[in-house]
Amino acid sequence: MADAEADLVAQLQAGSEVAFRTLVTRYQDRVYRTAFSLLRTPEEAEDVAQEVFVEVYQTIARFRGDASLTTWLYRLTTSRALKSRRKAQTKKRFAYFTSLLGFDNDVLHEPPDHAHPQALLEGQQQLQLLLAHIARLPDQQQVAFTLRHEQALSYDEIAAVLQTTVPAVESLLFRARQTLRKHIQPHLRYV
Amino acid sequence: MSDSAFRPTPEQEWEDLVRQLHDQAQGQPRPFFYNRVSARLAGRPTTPGRAVPVWMRRPAYAALLGVIMLVLSGDVGALRPAPAATPATAPAAASPLRSHPQ
Repeated sequence: MADAEADLVAQLQAGSEVAFRTLVTRYQDRVYRTAFSLLRTPEEAEDVAQEVFVEVYQTIARFRGDASLTTWLYRLTTSRALKSRRKAQTKKRFAYFTSLLGFDNDVLHEPPDHAHPQALLEGQQQLQLLLAHIARLPDQQQVAFTLRHEQALSYDEIAAVLQTTVPAVESLLFRARQTLRKHIQPHLRYV
Repeated sequence: MSDSAFRPTPEQEWEDLVRQLHDQAQGQPRPFFYNRVSARLAGRPTTPGRAVPVWMRRPAYAALLGVIMLVLSGDVGALRPAPAATPATAPAAASPLRSHPQ
């Protein structure tokens, strides 16, 4: 597997278009799903996934193999997705601000959600509640949690992506689970 | 008869929820994803690094940067029109032939 990856990198660095197509075909689902886990909209996930492959194509010559190709792709994807989200949040805040000042007549801010927590009880709604709370986690915790529970990466792989240690990943996941369970537990059916 | 034996524990419910989270994360990009990546690549410059950052391409920013550099360098006086030189106001350097007391 590592040899196959090294061969692919060598071909990419030689400028092979066939190798680039192989790379995209092989990794597009993983890259897209990771981006989607952090952004939750198909359009933004697609945009980030495309940008990741463009960046790989443009910078593969500088890839020295310190990390595996897969790790590098996850790293690019998570950092781009977080950046895209920050940009979207800034834009949203600015739009809200301008709508308050009356620069335009559109109501751009989100209408308040009047759904009582008790209404968010069953099945899919519990999942939506969980997703909403995952989105509020600090960046590092969110990345660790989604890589672990949505992409099923091992602790070692997550540590490589986040450029940290396995105990640090354990700590991130522990804190993420603690926060999420604190918010979700009251809404579970039989608690 | 109590149905408590059939009720999942909070731990089981949490695990079930996390399993649902994993199951829903199985999306895929739309078909012909590679074509769209190729099209995006074709619209980009071949070299990744830009010699000039985007903000430098805006003339207003470039002009402002020039003014700031000029002010900081202390050469802003060069922009002022030179006052008409009179014998009373002319600096010493303007009359090099003036005799100096011994």
